[in-house]
Amino acid sequence: MSQTGLTTTSLTLGYRERTVLRDLSIAVPDQRVTSILGPNGCGKSTFLKALARLIAPASGQVLLSGDDIGKIDTRALARRLSILPQSPKAPDGITVSDLVRRGRTPWRGLLAPWSEEDARICRQALEQVDLSDLADRPIDELSGGQRQRAWIALVLAQNTPYLLLDEPTTWLDLAHQLEVLSLLQKRNRDHGTTVVTVLHDLNLAVRFSDHLILFGGKGLVAEGAPEVVITPENLQAAFGLKALVMPDPLTGRPMIVPH
Amino acid sequence: MKATIGLVLLFFVAIALTLVVGVRDAGISDLWNAFFAFDANDPTHAVIRSVRVPRLVAGLVAGAGLGMAGTVMQAVTRNPLADPGLLGVNAGAAFAVVVGALLTGYSDSGMMAALAFLGAAIASIAVFLVGGARSGAGSPVRLTLAGVAINALLLSLVSAIILSRNETLEIFRFWVTGSLAQANTRPLEAMFVALVLGAAIAAIIAPRIEALALGSSLARGLGTKPGTVQLSALLAIMLMTGAAVAVAGPIAFVGLVVPPLARRIGRHVLRRELVASAVLGGSMILLADTAGRLVVAPAEIRVGIMTALVGAPVFIFVVRRLKPGALT
Amino acid sequence: MSAEGSGKRIAGGWAVLGGLLFAAVLISLTVGQIMITPAELLRGLMSGTGPGSLTLRVLRGPSTLTAVGAGAVLGASGTIFQILLRNPLAAPDVMGFMSGAGCAVVAGVAFGLLIPLPILAAIGGLVAALLVAGLSFHRGARQSPLTLILVGIGIGFFASAVSSFLVIRMPPQEAADAQRWLTGSLTARNWGHVLQVFGLGALLSIILALQVRAMALLELGDELAAGLGARVGRARYGLICTGVLLATVGVAVAGPVPFVAMMAGPLGMRIAGVRHPASRLTAAAIAGATIMVLAEVISRSAIPGLQLPVGVMTGIMGAPYLLWLLWKEVEAGEV
Repeated sequence: MSQTGLTTTSLTLGYRERTVLRDLSIAVPDQRVTSILGPNGCGKSTFLKALARLIAPASGQVLLSGDDIGKIDTRALARRLSILPQSPKAPDGITVSDLVRRGRTPWRGLLAPWSEEDARICRQALEQVDLSDLADRPIDELSGGQRQRAWIALVLAQNTPYLLLDEPTTWLDLAHQLEVLSLLQKRNRDHGTTVVTVLHDLNLAVRFSDHLILFGGKGLVAEGAPEVVITPENLQAAFGLKALVMPDPLTGRPMIVPH
Repeated sequence: MKATIGLVLLFFVAIALTLVVGVRDAGISDLWNAFFAFDANDPTHAVIRSVRVPRLVAGLVAGAGLGMAGTVMQAVTRNPLADPGLLGVNAGAAFAVVVGALLTGYSDSGMMAALAFLGAAIASIAVFLVGGARSGAGSPVRLTLAGVAINALLLSLVSAIILSRNETLEIFRFWVTGSLAQANTRPLEAMFVALVLGAAIAAIIAPRIEALALGSSLARGLGTKPGTVQLSALLAIMLMTGAAVAVAGPIAFVGLVVPPLARRIGRHVLRRELVASAVLGGSMILLADTAGRLVVAPAEIRVGIMTALVGAPVFIFVVRRLKPGALT
Repeated sequence: MSAEGSGKRIAGGWAVLGGLLFAAVLISLTVGQIMITPAELLRGLMSGTGPGSLTLRVLRGPSTLTAVGAGAVLGASGTIFQILLRNPLAAPDVMGFMSGAGCAVVAGVAFGLLIPLPILAAIGGLVAALLVAGLSFHRGARQSPLTLILVGIGIGFFASAVSSFLVIRMPPQEAADAQRWLTGSLTARNWGHVLQVFGLGALLSIILALQVRAMALLELGDELAAGLGARVGRARYGLICTGVLLATVGVAVAGPVPFVAMMAGPLGMRIAGVRHPASRLTAAAIAGATIMVLAEVISRSAIPGLQLPVGVMTGIMGAPYLLWLLWKEVEAGEV
């Protein structure tokens, strides 16, 4: 059976004796923006980390184009899939361009010099996040939104077809959240990059995602297009939340209004 | 109650061993006779009276001083790693004595003692300032590292001065690592008085220190002036540490090992803890000294090295028990 | 435009750093009980005879070059730990690895073991590192760098105590020598020491060069590093080993000299104005060499007719730096 894309087969995840998620078989659609949603502690970050091989499954597999990611060479995987963890910490005093350059690491041979190609891709990454003017500024001097964009530029410079982000909008105000998410959406539309994010804000997730994966306290509740996933029943099951779902006046997508 | 009886037993065993063990072995009967039927012609009696009794007194003064100083320090800073030896107070005393000797030619015991107090005072103030203990921003890490730095600085300077004066290695070592070997040449009586003075101050302000431990605003509400209490505590620490260093040289780790045990015996009443730490500190130094004389007899290992061998693992144990949050 | 400006500034920084090392070496070779002019040195170097040549070949050349090598390996070692633990207080001297190496060497001498000094030092350093890692391990909790540093300090205390204990067992003259060596000493170094520190140092530098890329990734945090293709666990253990071994190479020729490893990194980074791990390591090596050479020349010429152990000087230079570091943190209200 040949498969494409990022899929899991009977994946069970847990720390020590505690099982967090059980027997998940989920396919992340290729070249789409997918968001993973759910209440705190439901294991949505754990799931994303498993997709990126940051934690090993207790049982089951994560497949990337049919290959078990546990068996892919580390550097080869880093050329196919990138992950931005939640609230990363920059080394003291590092500049934006130095940070972004490190995203090229998996593409460079052990002793290979810095190539024109590397420089071009880094330049593009900075342009895409609109930080070209601040390239030589130390990260510590940037605002929260700019800093988050610099980290995104790093994973963009990694130039992988799959891009995973763990809560890329935490600690940002609404305007910057929108900025970051539309940036990711644009990358998806322009380059066909498959984007997978863990998000907190349901309405923002609906607005920017093509596909949703909704977890509740007892595992997967629903997955599919936003219109299919976001229903009062599913919200009740996942969050214990009584809410009204109505079409967003701007986009026509579902919008959640809590009671 | 059981712990108290154990403590008293330990204390007497430590005292007896100090008097009995040595190059010239003495029995219990020799001990009895040396005190109550002294025979000037019996060399064993002479050794007991002129060598081992001063050694005993020096060990008790040093151990009691360091143990109580450690307990007061830990109570005031609420830092389980606070120890006058580790925080450089001992090194300050040693440094002042050595510089004093350098400047004035040589030192008599009274002057040496005065200098030791001065050095202890300056070093403890410095370490409290740098370690942020005064502003309440002191963390165990910072206080310990401030001590490491001050120790390193002062002991390097002491080494530089002493090596430049062609003194014998023995004197050099005394001011770097403490020893009870020349106890009979030390100013025992004067230092005993200083120790008692320091202990008295500590005992008087003990309830205030306990109030302070509840937080400075609550302590003020209970009628305590935090500044005055801290200064008095510093004075007590200085007197007790200075006395210890003047009789036994700088010895680390006694003030680290003793307080947690004393807390258990004194059941968190500071005055009881002070008594327990005096007894425990004295026993620890005497036992360490006796062990140091036995291990490589007829040579002897300085008591400061022996306490470090025991104390360093205790240090690691205490660090392991600190909650990660308590470190910052 | 601004990139070019910072490029120039960095080039200037490297020039200052290199110039300082050159000046330190020149001072070390010329200053002493007998002053030798640079011209005489040059003549000695060219002709191979005269006082200049004697100074270079026998009197000061070997000690100075050993100081350069030992300072460089210590500086690089300190920077590895400072980067890995993200803490300026982390260094092989503060964390007890060097005391461990020193202790193993003393034990080897005391028990008459026929094991070469560098190997003894390496074993001692690695055992100390293992103990620090093992003893700061808490089930289920991440090790905080501060716990590691404090446990390291404890291991250092213990290793020093054991060293002092062992020294007592030696005959008096040997004991005095051992005591001096334990303070950190560069007296009577010969070309064997120079060869040893540069040979082993070069070998470890090659290994380190291959690890630098992983280090640049580890700086970004474990998860991102893994995402960028680093084998996090393997890379970290490899770097710790290299760091410990570099420090022990220094210990083998100069004794456990305090504070050089801790001071060199921040100093080099500040002067050269660089951030990338590769540049930081290089800058730290040069700064470490400079500190060591200066400490060596001061320790033997500060008091006429007397040669202090170099460790006494680095203690006097380094402790105020550590105090300043702590004081700055009190001011900033953070650790």
